[in-house]
Amino acid sequence: MYLYSLTLQRPTGIISAINGNFSGGKTQEIVVARGKVLDLLRPDENGKIQTVLSVEIFGVIRSLAQFRLTGAQKDYIVVGSDSGRIVILEYNKEKNVFDKIHQETFGKSGCRRIVPGQYLAIDPKGRACMIGACEKQKLVYVLNRDTAARLTISSPLEAHKSHTIVYSICGVDCGFDNPIFAAIELDYSEADQDSTGLAASEAQKHLTFYELDLGLNHVSRKWSEQVDNGANMLVTVPGGGDGPSGVLVCAENFVIYKNQGHPDVRAVIPRRVDLPAERGVLIVSAAMHKQKSMFFFLLQTEYGDIFKVTLEHDNDRVTELKIKYFDTIPVTSSMCVLKSGFLFAASEFGNHSLYQFKAIGDDDDIESSSATLMETEEGFQPVFFQPRRLKNLVRIDQVESLMPIMDMKVLNLFEEETSQIFTLCGRGPRSSLRILRPGLAISEMAVSELPGVPSAVWTVKKNINDEFDAYIVVSFANATLVLSIGETVEEVNDSGFLDTTPSLAVSLIGDDSLMQVHPNGIRHIREDGRINEWRTPGKRTIVKVGSNRLQVVIALSGGELIYFEVDMTGQLMEVEKHEMSGDIACLDIAPVPEGRQRSRFLAVGSYDNTIRILSLDPDDCMQILSVQSVSSTPESLLFLEVQASIGGEDGADHPASLFLNAGLRTGVLFRTVVDMVTGQLSDSRSRFLGLRAPKLFSIIVRGKRAMLCLSSRPWLGYIHQGHFLLTPLSYETLEYAASFSSDQCAEGVVAVAGEALRVFTIERLGETFNETVIPLRYTPRKFVLQPKRKLLVIIEGDQGAFPAEEREAAKKECFEASGMGENGNGNMEMENGGEDEDRDDPLSDEHYGYPKAESDRWVSCIRVLDPKTSSTTCLLELQDNEAAFSICTVNFHDKEYGTLLAVGTAKGLQFFPKRSLTAGFIHIYRFLEDGKSLELLHKTQVEGVPLALCQFQGRLLAGIGPVLRLYDLGKKRLLRKCENKLFPNTIVSIQTYRDRIFVGDIQESFHYCKYRRDENQLYIFADDCVPRWLTASYHVDFDTMAGADKFGNIYFVRLPQDVSDEIEEDPTGGRIKWEQGKLNGAPNKVEEIVQFHVGDVATCLQKASLIPGGGECMIYGTVMGSLGALLAFTSRDDVDFFSHLEMHMRQEHPPLCGRDHMGYRSAYFPVKDVIDGDLCEQFPTLPLDLQRKIADELDRTPGEILKKLEEIRNKII
Amino acid sequence: MSVFGGDSWGRVAQHRKRRLEFLVAESVDASSYKKLSNGKYACLVCPQNPVIDSLFMLSAHCKGSRHRTAESRLNEREFDRQEELNKRIFLLGSIGGNANPNSATCSKKFKSPDYKPVSGEALKSAWEILSNKAPMQDSRNKTGDKELSASPATDRTTNCQLSVVGSSFPAAEASEEEVAKRFMDYRERRERELKFTAAGWKRNCHGKWYKDENVEFDSDEADPNVCLF
Repeated sequence: MYLYSLTLQRPTGIISAINGNFSGGKTQEIVVARGKVLDLLRPDENGKIQTVLSVEIFGVIRSLAQFRLTGAQKDYIVVGSDSGRIVILEYNKEKNVFDKIHQETFGKSGCRRIVPGQYLAIDPKGRACMIGACEKQKLVYVLNRDTAARLTISSPLEAHKSHTIVYSICGVDCGFDNPIFAAIELDYSEADQDSTGLAASEAQKHLTFYELDLGLNHVSRKWSEQVDNGANMLVTVPGGGDGPSGVLVCAENFVIYKNQGHPDVRAVIPRRVDLPAERGVLIVSAAMHKQKSMFFFLLQTEYGDIFKVTLEHDNDRVTELKIKYFDTIPVTSSMCVLKSGFLFAASEFGNHSLYQFKAIGDDDDIESSSATLMETEEGFQPVFFQPRRLKNLVRIDQVESLMPIMDMKVLNLFEEETSQIFTLCGRGPRSSLRILRPGLAISEMAVSELPGVPSAVWTVKKNINDEFDAYIVVSFANATLVLSIGETVEEVNDSGFLDTTPSLAVSLIGDDSLMQVHPNGIRHIREDGRINEWRTPGKRTIVKVGSNRLQVVIALSGGELIYFEVDMTGQLMEVEKHEMSGDIACLDIAPVPEGRQRSRFLAVGSYDNTIRILSLDPDDCMQILSVQSVSSTPESLLFLEVQASIGGEDGADHPASLFLNAGLRTGVLFRTVVDMVTGQLSDSRSRFLGLRAPKLFSIIVRGKRAMLCLSSRPWLGYIHQGHFLLTPLSYETLEYAASFSSDQCAEGVVAVAGEALRVFTIERLGETFNETVIPLRYTPRKFVLQPKRKLLVIIEGDQGAFPAEEREAAKKECFEASGMGENGNGNMEMENGGEDEDRDDPLSDEHYGYPKAESDRWVSCIRVLDPKTSSTTCLLELQDNEAAFSICTVNFHDKEYGTLLAVGTAKGLQFFPKRSLTAGFIHIYRFLEDGKSLELLHKTQVEGVPLALCQFQGRLLAGIGPVLRLYDLGKKRLLRKCENKLFPNTIVSIQTYRDRIFVGDIQESFHYCKYRRDENQLYIFADDCVPRWLTASYHVDFDTMAGADKFGNIYFVRLPQDVSDEIEEDPTGGRIKWEQGKLNGAPNKVEEIVQFHVGDVATCLQKASLIPGGGECMIYGTVMGSLGALLAFTSRDDVDFFSHLEMHMRQEHPPLCGRDHMGYRSAYFPVKDVIDGDLCEQFPTLPLDLQRKIADELDRTPGEILKKLEEIRNKII
Repeated sequence: MSVFGGDSWGRVAQHRKRRLEFLVAESVDASSYKKLSNGKYACLVCPQNPVIDSLFMLSAHCKGSRHRTAESRLNEREFDRQEELNKRIFLLGSIGGNANPNSATCSKKFKSPDYKPVSGEALKSAWEILSNKAPMQDSRNKTGDKELSASPATDRTTNCQLSVVGSSFPAAEASEEEVAKRFMDYRERRERELKFTAAGWKRNCHGKWYKDENVEFDSDEADPNVCLF
């Protein structure tokens, strides 16, 4: 079996973010690392974050830093990754790519503890860069300029110290003196030697300064001093005239200013009032903002509170350190303060946000200061504060993030054309159920009812130079309605259009006149109001029209074509007549090319299943240039011109080309390339769009021509980052559409459907899915479908939080104390764990997080959710410190209850110092009220945490620690019927098929079991020989399982056919009973048939199809919030083709951050039988000559390769 | 292949052996031997039914003169039997043919005045036995003895020849039903027993059911000692 791996949704979480001017000039940009993807983001003028560039680097980005050479205008990006190399990138604005400036190898690849890459620090003057490992190794590179002002990098200088763990490093700003780097280090050499543990308990962290002597070209340890053992982060303080230099050491509960030869200045971090005393406060992210006259720091704690830190200083002496409460936003992994007055918050979990500064926290607020720090016998006196609403920041945009995807199911609960993907995302109060649908999101601007059922709609400008459209013209069965676009849209009668007849086409002709084509003639309305009318000869009527700005072709009934041109005076002149063999089904004229008088091509579709290209040149007017036969009658034609591009913002290198698109009666979109000189057709592709013949319309998207196809659902064909994408829109069926541009809506679409006129815009181009979000209360763990009523049952749970009632009571108390009225609907808020954007709610949990409890307290709930109405029909909060971990529906045989719900819970679960629990339980619930609510039938105590539950032959299989147990339903409790204790560690997944049971162990991959009724025994007959730490599993077929491990691999294992046969044909059963494996293993071993390193921990797997009637593929969701698919190849030729393409891509286009592609995909186990589609899909981004070179090697043309890539993508989504 | 220790040749060797045996087995007529439960082979052709250790030995045995003589004798006997069979079938056909050239249904055939029911019946059963075709019918005759002996009694009372055959047919059908029923009974019983074993009951050497001590039971759970006996 060969698989094609394709990422459907790139990772959405962010690991690290930096900001700067990467394209040069004044624009502020953000570079974010999303694990294996590097993105360049830019807030546009409306404050919306736009993704300018997104590159998959086939490696793990561990750290990012930006630097600028003195006097330069542009920032460079330094990337620390798992490649064992330091890579310096520059953003190339013209080509819209990252150019690799330098790539220096220093160590082995992979995320290792002593290979640098984990930490990056930059000298603030851009003269040197330090790259550090978690342990021992630190390397310093000197950055400079050569005579041609190109960036140079030196060979590395070592700053190693063995037996030290590094916690954080940063550059120290010391002006133009020798560059200094600071590091928090812990020396463990003594602790390592001392077996009593005394030395370990006395180990002390140090702050160490490393100086790079530029003269001697040497790095030395300059200064080292003890710091708090809770120190976790360093922040550079401006120096060299701008500030006092030195560093801020962020430690547990404190921020300390430190510098060589300077006494410590210490201030306590204010605490939330409701924080338990045992919990400390740690800083998790920091940002510095520096202006000419001042600087300040924003530090965010692990609870989300941001503090503004300022230093009072007198030249180099810091007199006071102040920490003032600033605002509270969800916990971030990185914060970026942009010079344009924005704060980009890359959230740790959940959506990322862009905030605008309203103020910089100059108002009075709770503040702690080094000057007022009080030390008593109990230690330093804490300062308390109460979080409040945003005061200094205002959120202006959000970037959606699915991180982390906890569970996923592909289901078609809404009976739509394609399945929906239900994902459980997020963590704690920011968790949600997100329903993803393949397609672009649209935002509806207006819907207005019309007096009848319209058949068509057009928009026209009055003048070619106008920015906005002037009229919307709607045609009905026997009338035409004209609406003028202004402040409002209203009906007008003075437009000159004939309103007593239906229209066939309305457009701008020449520079400033309008044309209306109706069945009996053409009405030409000049700018001054004069009207010319051309009438059809005899009783013939016009059936089809094709026009551009200067040419009009009409088709009369019977198959006669009449061609008009706009002459110099703006008159419409008849030029040519042509009799076709039969009636015309559709026609279209190519748009007038830039700088030309007319377009050369007319496309005519006939009922004899052909499309003909006719010439419109005066020399060979109406000559047939080429003929294309198609599979069924073409109903609509559209020429789409793609302008030449040499990269730039939104596109790769490609020459201008003309595409002819045809919507066929069978619902297929047929697309072919028209040779711009000869009119020959080539390279045809077709794709099924829906059950209706697609109608094609040209619209404008991001200033470029795009195609809207209206079949049973609307589709948009457009070019995005060099790819032509044909994506469905998540909208209802439309009849007819036209582009729409007005004051309020620059790039919209007006469409008719039913009796309504709709105006909408298309959002977030380039995305594969659009999502509907339903908030949840706690971190979702798993969910199941209640099959009868199509309800979802979700289990949620969190550690270290208070139950809802206690939270609510505490909140009330707090409001009463602070005198604020509670206007929010407390109950609702409680239900949904914080409604998003709920401005009335003073402190939404979604924003501020739950109040923290002791770490051994658990909260958990079971929720029944109706996805159609997005409403929760039942929510059971578990009591007594119980938390739910597994769930399944079960039908016990010959018992009267029907479908029951089994939930595995643990009470008082603790992970530290040792994993322990009070008890585990299996709850059995009965569905009431059509499955809308739950009733507890009974609960059964078990000795461990039931992490896996599954129905099996009318009974319940439970994995409790290392025990697989079969339960039957009893009156008062579950009855233990049979068990097998031979599993190595902990059972985390159970799947069944017939009498086979596929058990997943947390560390040891899959075990294949069989249940024998006659003996009432469970036998393990096969297992895996590779220790896999299983995170997800899926049963593929009788002998095959798919799994994902926590190191980011996806693999398939299969029981060899002969073994499978032997197991099944074992009449006496003696074999399975007495056969023994070696070393406590099972007698048979499964074989690994597929192996692939995804580079991200897959948490869920499912076999499903995302296109109607398409083949199934394996869909997976990952912790970083990405979705991917593995499609099985059906032909050997395809396998050959793609493996060769992959091979050439590996050679010609090595990954950006220096990781070897093959090495990356084989990071833990050699990749087996999987072709990396993400690498193959980078083919269109290669330079044209390289594309041609690869294509030649494959004996194909670049076009054919693109077609193949498109085809295989269309098989998946 | 095993990864524990370096003894991977074992399975390969076993595979190879199995493969060879498979090839050898192809050359020997499958109906001429029987695989015994102890893994040895018994030759069914030779009158003494010699037991042979392996398939290789068996193939050698099959080439031996004694086996071949026995085989030809067997073939001869088979041929004779087939001839006899054809003869009798022809005879039976001629009886039927005399009775009714159209020979539509049995009942019509038996109606004819010169039809001798006993000889017809005897011929039929002889044919069946000889052709060795329907062991089911054989067993049915054995098991359905009672019905067969009963049916002539009813004949005598009604004194109708037609009913003899007429009733004998439903009798056969009835017996078939009974067999099926018994078979179903057996299946059902087996199923019920399995249900009890699956529920955690075990059997001691006297066939008595007892509860497995590692299994939990409901207080009102059915006792197989009561249910099944």
